[in-house]
Amino acid sequence: MLPRRLPLLLLATLGCSFALASPPPETWNAPYPEKTAALAAYGDGTRGASVFEICQGCHRAGALGRPDGTYPRLAGQHATVLIKQLTDVRSDRRSNPKMLPFADHQALSVQDIADIAVYLQSLPVPPTQGQGPGTDLVRGRQLYDRDCSICHGQRGQGKGDQFFPRVSGQHYLYLLREGRAFRDGQRRNVHPEMAAAISKYTDDELSAVSDHMSRLPVAGP
Amino acid sequence: MAQHRYWLLVLMAAWFLCPAPLSAADAKEIARTVCAACHGVDGNSADPAHPKLAGMDQEYLMRQLKAFADGKRRDEAMSGVIASLDPAVFSGLAAYYGPQKPKPGQVKDPQLAAKGRALYEDGNTDTGVPACAGCHQSDGKGNARFPRLAGQHQAYTLKQLADYKSGRRATDPLMTTVGKRLSAEEAKALAEYIAGL
Repeated sequence: MLPRRLPLLLLATLGCSFALASPPPETWNAPYPEKTAALAAYGDGTRGASVFEICQGCHRAGALGRPDGTYPRLAGQHATVLIKQLTDVRSDRRSNPKMLPFADHQALSVQDIADIAVYLQSLPVPPTQGQGPGTDLVRGRQLYDRDCSICHGQRGQGKGDQFFPRVSGQHYLYLLREGRAFRDGQRRNVHPEMAAAISKYTDDELSAVSDHMSRLPVAGP
Repeated sequence: MAQHRYWLLVLMAAWFLCPAPLSAADAKEIARTVCAACHGVDGNSADPAHPKLAGMDQEYLMRQLKAFADGKRRDEAMSGVIASLDPAVFSGLAAYYGPQKPKPGQVKDPQLAAKGRALYEDGNTDTGVPACAGCHQSDGKGNARFPRLAGQHQAYTLKQLADYKSGRRATDPLMTTVGKRLSAEEAKALAEYIAGL
């Protein structure tokens, strides 16, 4: 009996280790009930404005975030992106211990999340975001056009239907911080192509590309 | 005949058992005879250990009375008093104290208050303390969802922050987080600033 089973066991073990080593690409945004429910819910921006009161202590009035990069700008971000990130934080798919108590089930219902997302998406994005030093903009644009623009768009507008975030209007220091986190494998809910593209970036390259993104136009179609 | 007497008995029993509806005048009487001992007749307590209630949102006052009644908030003085009150009077008490005119508090240490102001308006980005102004508004007057803080006694504000931290006050999980993230020095600074709002 044993010799017959052995190959099967070996195959199963191999299969498991293979699955662990390279997750299928769709797992970065695999559906789970809470995210699906929030995406399907009808978001009410007026209610969202009221729910957002508990967020603005950190993300500031108008969801403009902080130029020091500690809290990102949320204004004008795609609702789908906001829902994915919020539910990912709540379900420990993205680590954010500072934010977690303000985003967990005691603080926000699924409907609240849908409402906030619609509200934030509708907010104006003034060109007041923090920008980088401006010392390496040519390289920044080259890197962006080569590696980033295919998903995040020429103007950094992102793609809401594919959960690709808008990056224009975002604070340079936040982009830089998250860029490092992506590169160093600390953002677990990342698209595999994003992880691959950024994995070999040096600190200087991260700074240059973040600087370029922080200077992308925020107004206009 | 016997049946008639039976119905009369039921009616009499119902009349005795149903509580008389409490009027606004009853609530006012209770406020003045029971609550005023600590909170003042006009809701501006003299003893800094007891909160000023004047100018607080009525819904907020109602929520707190209920929280004391069901044990989510505990306090040596207040828990005993609440147990002696008929919950039917809570809304009348909230309606009595809410519209009273709040008296300003007093800043004793302007330097400490200045530190408190920075924290109140900006939070602490290192420890993840949100700006208080985000919910309680810059002027500390609060709104229907978040309570008024402006002019509150330092000692009372400090005790609430400590009670959130310890879990003794469990009326709001977000404030529990804030209480845990604040340092003792930060809590003092905030209480000082809030007294002057």
